Amino acid sequence: MSTSISNSRLTSRLWGQLTSIRLTVFLLLILAVVAVVGTLGFPGLYYTIWFLAPLGLLALNLLACLVEGLPQALKRAARPFTGEMALALPERGRFSWPAETAAPALVEEILRRELGRPRHQILGEEQVFFYGRGRLRPLGPYCVHLALVLILAGGVVGKFWGIEGRILLQPGIDGSSIELDQPGRKLPLGFLVRLEKFQVRYYEGSGGTPQEFRSDLTFLQDGAAVKQAVCRVNDPVVFGGYTFYQASYGTLPGGPVQLELTREDQRQSLELPFRRWVQLPGSEIQVMAVRVEGNLQGLGPAVQLAYRPGPGHPQFAWLLQKHPEKVKPLGPFRLALAPLKLEYYSVLQVKHDPGVGWVYGGFLLLLPGLYLAFFRPTQRWAVVLQKGRKDRWEGRLLGASPRSRETFLARTERLRERLQRGGA
Amino acid sequence: MLSQALGAVMLLYLGVGLLFLAAGLWASASLNRLARLLFGAGLAAHTAILLARWWQSYHLASGHQPLTLFSEKLRLVVLQAPMSNFYESLVFFAWCLPFLAILTWRRDLHDYLGTVVALGACLLLAYASLGGVDSRIKPLMPALKSNWLLIHVVTCFLGYAAFTLGFGVAILYLAQERRSRPSLPPRSQLDRLLYQTTIIGFLLLTLGILTGAVWAEQAWGRYWSWDPKETWSLITWLIYATLLHARLVKGWQGRRIAWLGVLGFVAVLFTYLGVSFLLPGLHSYLT
Ligand code: HEM
Repeated sequence: MSTSISNSRLTSRLWGQLTSIRLTVFLLLILAVVAVVGTLGFPGLYYTIWFLAPLGLLALNLLACLVEGLPQALKRAARPFTGEMALALPERGRFSWPAETAAPALVEEILRRELGRPRHQILGEEQVFFYGRGRLRPLGPYCVHLALVLILAGGVVGKFWGIEGRILLQPGIDGSSIELDQPGRKLPLGFLVRLEKFQVRYYEGSGGTPQEFRSDLTFLQDGAAVKQAVCRVNDPVVFGGYTFYQASYGTLPGGPVQLELTREDQRQSLELPFRRWVQLPGSEIQVMAVRVEGNLQGLGPAVQLAYRPGPGHPQFAWLLQKHPEKVKPLGPFRLALAPLKLEYYSVLQVKHDPGVGWVYGGFLLLLPGLYLAFFRPTQRWAVVLQKGRKDRWEGRLLGASPRSRETFLARTERLRERLQRGGA
Repeated sequence: MLSQALGAVMLLYLGVGLLFLAAGLWASASLNRLARLLFGAGLAAHTAILLARWWQSYHLASGHQPLTLFSEKLRLVVLQAPMSNFYESLVFFAWCLPFLAILTWRRDLHDYLGTVVALGACLLLAYASLGGVDSRIKPLMPALKSNWLLIHVVTCFLGYAAFTLGFGVAILYLAQERRSRPSLPPRSQLDRLLYQTTIIGFLLLTLGILTGAVWAEQAWGRYWSWDPKETWSLITWLIYATLLHARLVKGWQGRRIAWLGVLGFVAVLFTYLGVSFLLPGLHSYLT
């Protein structure tokens, strides 16, 4: 008996905590602090308990608030504003007009000019003119909170049921699987992706800033081409449940790198197979082509060379095809680069994320939510007219707005002035 | 040419700031009117300079890719908005301050509040002009070529500007709190203005984060990747969400809210400057 009472008391205390804004404020600040720590060199922090626990609690907090407040907010938003409700608003001023005034028409006119078209109801002796706006305001914060729940849910769905990786495509070698972000893990696509052509254009005289790069792709299912598409930065391609994003690109030599060696007026050519050590003729020096670039800092095609004069750590140097004068001699040799044949490879980010729809749904819901919460404050006014002594019109101005006190008071003030002047 | 004109606008803002200050010290309505008039003129000139740079930038870009279709030209106009490097962002940030203040504060923009806004804009322009910031127009790299660029940058910077105004208000509030001065705006007014600027900033920052996420999803296939700038914008957003909710909790009014406004602005500064200079990431093209 007593345990069940204390149990239910405990539950209600727990529920009280879960629905409290105090907890929200606390959690938001905690999350901010942990996020700060994460940017100071602990990028993995966001996937540890230190971040996920307060985030999960915030999600619970949000859900609890929704359960607690949404039904009432819905009820309030659904309840139309009536003359009876108008009579219960607090009084904001009084006025008195001569008997001969066409008071109902004048009140209607003033309200319409200052606020908007009022409604009219006769309740016993009294005529009530009333006007309200922002009835949906109570739904605003709940739209926002629901939207946040959707976004968080979308993130969870993506983490658990999403697939993310990359694929490296070379002309002539069809891609059949993606490398997942966990190192060493591959996932077969179930179809083939062929890089028909890769193109990159550079801005002229800009130090090698690419203007555009694109991959012309063909998707093959059971050996047959099913779809052709161009994949560009900011312009992804969808196929077979995956989305392909142009992420980056690189270059490989289209054959061995050709070097021109000059030693005391004697010229000779040398072939360097990519990424293999080669001894320079008649010397101890070894060289290896380790990287090729189509346009190194706007200076044109280039090869990065590793070299070692003997045993020991290699050193590095760039050879520029179009600027042989910038290449430093290597021991007794002067080096020049014969025209390079380059082949581009393209790196595509590949993704399947069923959570994105949820996230975007949340984004869409956020907008009306913020609009309602911030720009549609609930404001209500009423003017009550009644015949008084000597048949004069006695009027009362009523009104309330739980938020946005300032604009409400300013409007009410103007309205009162107009009404008090109105009969004269 | 444009940089000289910008220097003139900077000096004009400085003058406006001093005029507002004088108007506050001598409680002079006519000085206030003059300061507001000049502030409006400065903003108009600033707007013209932005538009001229936009035109220049469009012209340079259309040299790289001659276009004939109207829709293609329109897209290039959108892409070439002058907000794609650090210098341009400073000039735009400086523009947002008087723009937002005049638009949202209207009659409240006078005396010390006017001083805060005008000097803020002047400082940003001074940094852009004299801080050794590279002011050349550079071609856009492919990732930046998106229709989302304009709306993303505009919402983010208007949001930053709203928070900057809020910071000015919060500082005035804290000054009032320590020793009440009748010449400063009353605390109730400052409290209202802080809430108002926070709402506007929160809405704009939210839009900025959303458009950034949609853009990142389109460009890289990831709406969120914990890039430092992203993370700091989230931190900023969390602090202002705290502020909005803390107002609803009993005992968290006035001074503590003002301190949250200050804290939020520190996060804004770090999001804008600190991340670019101290932490590397996707947004590093800004420097
Ligand atoms: C990141 C998380 C959150 C965000 C961005 C957020 C956003 C908002 C916004 C924009 C408003 C309107 C504020 C205003 O009118 O000044 C609001 C109001 C509110 N929020 Fe949140 N919220 C969050 C989390 C929560 C949580 C977890 C709770 C649960 C206690 C909560 C409870 C409330 C309440 C009770 C209101 C006032 C409702 C009203 O005015 O009728 N919020 N929220």
